Amino acid sequence: MDLISLYPTWYEPTVGSGWVVALIATFHVLASHTSVGAAMLFAYLSHKAYREDREDLLDFVKKYGLFLLVFTYVAGSITGPGIWYSTTVASPNGIGALIHSFVWKWATEWVFFVIEVVGVYMIVYLVGRVDKRTHMKISVIFGMASLATMLIIVGILSFMMVPGKEQWFADGGYLNGFYGTNTFAQLGMRMAFMFTMTAVVGGIVIAGIKDPAFKKEMARKLGWLGIISTLIGAAMFQWYLTSVPDQALLVMENRLPDYFVPSIMIVLAGTLAYFIITMLRPQMIVQGFAGAMTIIILVAGLWPEETARESMRKPWVAGQYVYSNQVIGKDVPGMDIKSQLPTIEKVGILKAHPFTPDHLKEVNNGNMIQAGEFIAMTYCSNCHSPSETGIRPLHRYFPEGVSQERVAQYVKGVLTTGNIAYMPKMPMLDSEAEALAAYLVLNNDGGQAAVTAAIDTEIEQRERALAEQKAQDKVAAVDLQEGK
Amino acid sequence: MDAQQVAQVTEMMYALRNPAGIPTFPIIFIGLGVLTFALHILFVQLMLGTSAITLYGAFNNNAYWRRLGAAMLEISKVSVSVAIVVGVAPLLFVQVVYDPHWYTSNVLSADWVIAFIVILILAYWAMYYYYFQNGKNQDKTLQPKSRWSMITSLILMLVVGFIMHSLTSQILHPELWKEWYMQNGKLDYSGTQLHAYNIWRYAFFISMAIPVTGAMLVTYRRFKSVREDADHDYLNWAAEVGKKWIKVGSVISTVLYVAWMATLPETAGNFATSVWGILGGVAVIGYALWAQLRLKGEARFCSYMALPMALVIGLIVAISREMLRYDILNGFFNYNFMDYKIVMDWYSTGLFFLTFAIVGGVVLSYFLTIAWKSGQTVGVYTPGATVNKLGTLSIWIVALWIVQFFVVGFYVWAQ
Repeated sequence: MDLISLYPTWYEPTVGSGWVVALIATFHVLASHTSVGAAMLFAYLSHKAYREDREDLLDFVKKYGLFLLVFTYVAGSITGPGIWYSTTVASPNGIGALIHSFVWKWATEWVFFVIEVVGVYMIVYLVGRVDKRTHMKISVIFGMASLATMLIIVGILSFMMVPGKEQWFADGGYLNGFYGTNTFAQLGMRMAFMFTMTAVVGGIVIAGIKDPAFKKEMARKLGWLGIISTLIGAAMFQWYLTSVPDQALLVMENRLPDYFVPSIMIVLAGTLAYFIITMLRPQMIVQGFAGAMTIIILVAGLWPEETARESMRKPWVAGQYVYSNQVIGKDVPGMDIKSQLPTIEKVGILKAHPFTPDHLKEVNNGNMIQAGEFIAMTYCSNCHSPSETGIRPLHRYFPEGVSQERVAQYVKGVLTTGNIAYMPKMPMLDSEAEALAAYLVLNNDGGQAAVTAAIDTEIEQRERALAEQKAQDKVAAVDLQEGK
Repeated sequence: MDAQQVAQVTEMMYALRNPAGIPTFPIIFIGLGVLTFALHILFVQLMLGTSAITLYGAFNNNAYWRRLGAAMLEISKVSVSVAIVVGVAPLLFVQVVYDPHWYTSNVLSADWVIAFIVILILAYWAMYYYYFQNGKNQDKTLQPKSRWSMITSLILMLVVGFIMHSLTSQILHPELWKEWYMQNGKLDYSGTQLHAYNIWRYAFFISMAIPVTGAMLVTYRRFKSVREDADHDYLNWAAEVGKKWIKVGSVISTVLYVAWMATLPETAGNFATSVWGILGGVAVIGYALWAQLRLKGEARFCSYMALPMALVIGLIVAISREMLRYDILNGFFNYNFMDYKIVMDWYSTGLFFLTFAIVGGVVLSYFLTIAWKSGQTVGVYTPGATVNKLGTLSIWIVALWIVQFFVVGFYVWAQ
């Protein structure tokens, strides 16, 4: 059997499927980290309310909790599975690799997730309806359950970058895949970040506090939480960088946009400044200011950080064995996984792909552009959009007027051999490389309109040829019947 | 389809399996998938039914309906959350053993998959908007404001239900996947279309919202009737509405179930007349009979049994649904989920079941006891010593789980 586990391709021409995943994931990170941090803050405040018999703290928990319930739990609980949905359509083998190795980890997280969802409703709606001690207990359980969800997911996220231990490749085993330096470094970084987000988003709720003394107390508490967690987070990020593969650092140095480092530094400084200002002058915390700060962190801090983490994994998308184009590019003896590259080298990508239409399985003059487009969609479109916009558009990589011969040389000499460090090896038969080159040049010169026109012509010619063949067969059949 | 075409489809499905295999026996994932689907669809149906009552109450001048509408909005909000969180589990398990089918179906309709996320968020926010507009009204008999937002919410919920229905239906047609990938002779990478649906199947699952919500009303009366401030006339009226909904709703659902079975694809063979095909319908109509026999008068015990009974009925239907999938994919296309490659991992398997049973069991028992008791108490509820101990035990169990995470983790890391 020469078929490999490749699915159809989803091509989103405006922003690209990769960015759709990134948008949903970034939003989810904001919502989920804020929720987990707030859950732990609630545990602390509820405990304090019980010890000191304070209604105002519980009132704050209720207000902040209701706010979170609507804006982060609702959106967070939907965008969580939303990441599954978006990665399913953008990178089915990437998410499949994670699901098949860590299904029980996700199932375990789900138990805590159920506790969390029931817990948040109880924390919000039972203020004043149960005694403070019971509320404190619910809050503590809720806080710890939220933390448990983060502990679990971070191990899976780390595996995306690199399996916990090198041993996993040889011996397999869930523990070897899950735990490693990267897991703990990322855990420290994310926990710090979640408290930073809690402090920032909490400002939106503090803005609504009428009592100046209480407002000042909460601003100070959240301010200190924010400052300490921001500084620890920055240190953890440095540790994290020591735990990623060398390849990832190489990609980071060479491929990340110029604005990445300044952007992170500015956000870091801005966040610290924000907390200091709000601690010194709590009256400055109005909903607009706190809301704007949340957006700034989301756009200027979280977005570059999450997209950097995505980019650094290249050419892999999961576990250093699934390429970003969904092909399995490495043997993993511990899991009895075989690289799919030898199969593709033997039969070509068109025959190895289960969804190649029959008339495209072999390249000829009548299907050159369709076959080229199919190969580009399969091999390239996850990271390079064939459109004008979207993720790293293909046209940026080829000079205007480049010849088909030159592109074919590039495809055969560089792509099929895997000579670019951060790109997958993409085996192709010579005829397939020619088809890809023809498509790339046409797309480069005339864009989607030219490609569509060429494909329409190919289809028309094929249909005409089929009709002629059918007519000839009919004549031959009649001749045979008449005994000619 | 001839034998060669079937063989090609079978080969394609097997090729799409994830080479990493699965960490335990596939039947366990199927079992958990069926169980959690039954729970998920119960809360989906509750959410739809209680939303419908909220809307009906909002447009009705009857004071009882207005009050019931306001009360059901509270249940609807929580049901959406629970439906989402419980729905994560069947979504996880279907990817484990039916990954070739689920992933293909999703990619071929990718725009709708992404739309699902956005529409569901909007639907939920629309419901909350309605709640914030009206939730603080002390007088629940006043005409609610912003009724459009509740209408929007319900319509959008039905849309996301249809998207999910279609994605699930597409799983059952592997023979058409390649055809769907080609539109008018060209490959279609856009994912803009939903390719398959069975309107009767969709209508059946939606219609089950009627008897399930009926069960909720019967339970609501029983639960609230022990409060000191209970309005028994109103609660009895609500329970009578509920009984009617169970009986009439079950009949409607049975008719739709029969229509679904009558319109199964050819690849399902004789499933409609098989044991599981018939049992699903019998279970649904059986619910009406049960209500007729067991929900007479006060029915103090059986009123609390109405929702668990709905879950049992839903579970039987969920098994039928799973058997249908198995009959088509294995019976016709020879794809047997039971022969998925197993890379056994006892640790993670054991950890899940222990977490599920011990952490989930103890903590949720504590949470639900508190929620239950406080719901029946006027004023502040203070638990007794036993419930308090259960709370302390819950804290220790979760703390212990976190400790084991780090102990095992540091040990593995240090090796």
